[in-house]
Amino acid sequence: MLFSPGRRANVRQGEVLAVFSLGLLLGGTLSATVLWLLSGFAAPLPRTVRIGAILVFAVAGVAREAGWIRVPLPQNARQIPREVLQYRVRRGSLQFGFELGTGVRTYVSASAPYVVALGLVLAHQGPLATILTGTAFGAGRAVTATARYASRNDEWDDRRVARMPILTNAIGVAVLAALGLLYV
Amino acid sequence: MPAPSEALPAGRLRRGLTEPLLPFAALALLAVAAAAAQQTVLCWASVGALAGYSLSGSV
Repeated sequence: MLFSPGRRANVRQGEVLAVFSLGLLLGGTLSATVLWLLSGFAAPLPRTVRIGAILVFAVAGVAREAGWIRVPLPQNARQIPREVLQYRVRRGSLQFGFELGTGVRTYVSASAPYVVALGLVLAHQGPLATILTGTAFGAGRAVTATARYASRNDEWDDRRVARMPILTNAIGVAVLAALGLLYV
Repeated sequence: MPAPSEALPAGRLRRGLTEPLLPFAALALLAVAAAAAQQTVLCWASVGALAGYSLSGSV
């Protein structure tokens, strides 16, 4: 949708990508700031309880992606309106990126973002680690658009769709492995 | 009719460099290496990027 032709034909796609990515970074940063504030509520819990809960959520994330358990996700089941991108291209791309970057304005169908969000609240780290994780979340989302743009080929979407089941499962395992190694 | 450059498939190098599994592999390695080195900030940042990449939607 971001790189579709039409009204955006007179605006360079690279410029759209840059503004969109900036929006993603800002959105992720904002959400992580809120999570850092919420993490104060987890502070009274003993560290072992908090770490144990993080790892339980990470295991549940792997199990959900593998289809071993069913967990309904509290996602905002709506799409960001196409009109956002239709008229003001730069501002629309920024808004579109920002809304996607927050992770609360549209579908979040994978388990890993929930594991990370709950993990950030439970870990109750300093503001730098928490907020940087949110910024990195936005950057991770931007990788998709960047790779799509760099491929210069619509066929990239087919490859992405074909890899999605492997990707979501592998990301769940990688998150579990990293957090397990960090805290155990 | 599309321009000739649009009709051509992506080059093999470009195709390899934009392989969707590649960012995952790089970020996963970074996250695990940072965890092993007890680099908490880098580990969480890598995990955050992985979480963002798991939402590879249509853009």
